[in-house]
Amino acid sequence: MANETQTQNVSVNNFEQCLKCSICTVYCPVSAVSPEYPGPKQAGPDAERYRLKNKEFFDDALKMCLNCKRCEVACPNDVHIGDIIQAARIKYNTHRPKLRDMMLANTDFVGTMASPFAAIANPILKLKPMKAVLHGVMAIDKHRTFPDYSSRKFESWFKKNAASEQEKFNKHVSYFHGCYVNYNYPQLGMDFVKVMNAVGYGVHLLEKEKCCGVALIANGMPKQAKRQGEVNMTSMRKAIAKGHQVLTTSSTCTFTMRDEYDHLLGIDNHDVRDSISLATRFLFQLIEKGEIKLAFREDYHKRVAYHSACHMERMGWAPYSTRLLRMIPDIDFVMLESQCCGISGTYGFKKENYERSQAIGKGLFDQIKEVTPDCVATDCETCKWQIEMSTGTPVMNPISIIAEALDVETTRKLNKLD
Amino acid sequence: MKFDIIIIGGGLSGLTAGIALAEAGKDVALVSAGQSSLHFGSGSLDLLGCDEKGNDIYNPLDAIKEVNSKHPYNKLENVSSLAGMAKQLLERAGIATTGNATSNHWRITPIGGLMPTWLSMEGMATVEDPNQMPWRKVALVNIVNYLDFPTKFLAAGLRDKGVEVDIKAVTLPELQELRKSPTEMRATNIAKVIGNNDLTAKLADQVNSVAGEDYDMVLLPAVLGMTNDKNSKHLLELIKTPAQFVATLPPSVPGVRMQTMLRRRFTALGGTFFTGDQVTEGLFEDNILKGVKTAKLDGTTLESDNFILATGSFMSRGLRADYNHVYETALGVDVDDLGLDRKTWAKIDVTDAQPYMEMGVKTDENLRCMRNGTTISNLYAAGSILSGHNSIKRLDAGGVDMLTALQAANNIIK
Repeated sequence: MANETQTQNVSVNNFEQCLKCSICTVYCPVSAVSPEYPGPKQAGPDAERYRLKNKEFFDDALKMCLNCKRCEVACPNDVHIGDIIQAARIKYNTHRPKLRDMMLANTDFVGTMASPFAAIANPILKLKPMKAVLHGVMAIDKHRTFPDYSSRKFESWFKKNAASEQEKFNKHVSYFHGCYVNYNYPQLGMDFVKVMNAVGYGVHLLEKEKCCGVALIANGMPKQAKRQGEVNMTSMRKAIAKGHQVLTTSSTCTFTMRDEYDHLLGIDNHDVRDSISLATRFLFQLIEKGEIKLAFREDYHKRVAYHSACHMERMGWAPYSTRLLRMIPDIDFVMLESQCCGISGTYGFKKENYERSQAIGKGLFDQIKEVTPDCVATDCETCKWQIEMSTGTPVMNPISIIAEALDVETTRKLNKLD
Repeated sequence: MKFDIIIIGGGLSGLTAGIALAEAGKDVALVSAGQSSLHFGSGSLDLLGCDEKGNDIYNPLDAIKEVNSKHPYNKLENVSSLAGMAKQLLERAGIATTGNATSNHWRITPIGGLMPTWLSMEGMATVEDPNQMPWRKVALVNIVNYLDFPTKFLAAGLRDKGVEVDIKAVTLPELQELRKSPTEMRATNIAKVIGNNDLTAKLADQVNSVAGEDYDMVLLPAVLGMTNDKNSKHLLELIKTPAQFVATLPPSVPGVRMQTMLRRRFTALGGTFFTGDQVTEGLFEDNILKGVKTAKLDGTTLESDNFILATGSFMSRGLRADYNHVYETALGVDVDDLGLDRKTWAKIDVTDAQPYMEMGVKTDENLRCMRNGTTISNLYAAGSILSGHNSIKRLDAGGVDMLTALQAANNIIK
């Protein structure tokens, strides 16, 4: 009998720790609605053993994986099932991405092109003939409407209206706004600046910001994702050197830059990771430490149902956002049962995924209809599109709710700014 | 982040304590590293099923008086009242059960055995007396190609008890679609397909067509109703013959339902659930636990006045062993290894009572944990992580989980 036993697991992504208990399958949103998908256990740790022997065992069905990571959240043994599946797609997939996938994935490029023409592009993208063309030629599902492009980018707004004000604050953060805030919904960025300024923090843009790359990873363009990730890391290092935290208002951008860069793209982010945080988390932590205070309008009432976005769930950070929201005195707060909404970024836009995407989200939509909130709160922008389209209920980022409920004057006084 | 109480472990025990404390108006957080062993549950909870010799127990409340001095039941103030509270707590969470603490009933195992048990979720097949089967002729109706319901074993078990059994199989096109990935034809996926497509009535028609009125019981695999009991109840109503469910091999639909409904209740009461996170360190000062660190909340300490450790035993990674030691994984509190030499932890015959099964954390008479021999005044343990019981041999897992959780909650509220 040996005198020692191996106590540390050394397999990549913990795949040897899989006990084949199948609990991941219970929580896979895809396997139940798409029987041709092999399910997380089979697609992940089981098939990995074969793939390690021969790449011919790679199965194209793996592209049905949403990368929602709910398998990893459910796994009682900390196997990184989602990472195993995504890593296999990166390593073994030999198909070149289609034009459509390149368009969907290049949020930066498409946003830059569309923004100046927003007044024309938005209505055109909503026209039935245009949707038919997108559906038929590009395989972008006709039920989908592209989120409106904003006629003015967040960056332009910020430089013109806010940048000059920021230096007068004593404390500073950098803001990774992401493509959605820049091209589609600058209001969220404005809300962020409003809240941060009210508690005494100046906001700064990064020297250079590229799309975090989540859509590139999902659409089979890991090399471009890595290049963009390196640009972001370089800019963030400079911000961190100035003593800034880098804040975001998107759970998926945050998750991608903190975890997927290292796990999937091989970007060394160990010196940056801890300085990347979500705005709600940053605010909550400062309030807990007593370093800042928030005051809310007395006349603010809202019934808010919180939806835990998949990557928020994976990070384990939903309580930061929910406890922050619950600080608003007259909020009627309902926690929705955590379920995937089905959109998963660009996944639900593709014609071949539309029905699956809606079937996955059905449970969540039914819950929302039952709760009848004034708005749904979630930290993810693509969940917002999906939930608004599928339920008609408006969806807000928690930061926007805080900004709306905030009594700015009193908050500034409490934080000794006036 | 501050709470009144933090519970480590999100299974039956942790959720029971969490619900009881949230019902008492406390601000409770629960940290759970992955999903729990309820996913392997039978749809029944045991209080005490077997005596030392392995014989079935008929009256668990009486038998509990005789358990040895190390058993966690010795730390309960009033077993009978706690058992009643447990049943009511389940009911308030929407989980209706049959059974009580003064007389066990028997559930049918997936391989055709009869096991004494305390509470069974409504709709599960049970018998009052193992020596007197209530059915003359049973139709055992499986779903075509569903492999986790071993009908031949089940039929053999029932025939041994003098029941006439016919094995039948039914299907629907939507269910056969699931076979496209044979590994995914699981109870929980079947439940999702039936639920998503409103197939309950169609399935009932199929069952009615193969199991007519000459049967006095139809037994079905428990593959309906993962998040509530609507579909499972509805199916039984639509089947013309009396019908009940038998647990399948895991993953268990009734177990997932119990987990989901308990968590729903906890959240509805305002409880905060830290999902898929793991406690990595306890911050102790003298004999008080001040806070815990977790793997994902780097930079945040979870603080509270009281803590409950309900992380489960070896299977749930609450306990681990290396070559020479058994240790508690979350906080490093003292473990009772029964003073056994490494070579005697396990018996060669796997069906023997395994000594390691009785290992667990040491607690004082109030269920409080110890560290380096000193009692931690605000850290309680509950559930299968407690030392001194063997849930496989004595069939006491559900009772230990729920009753010690309720006792720990009571001790905190006092």
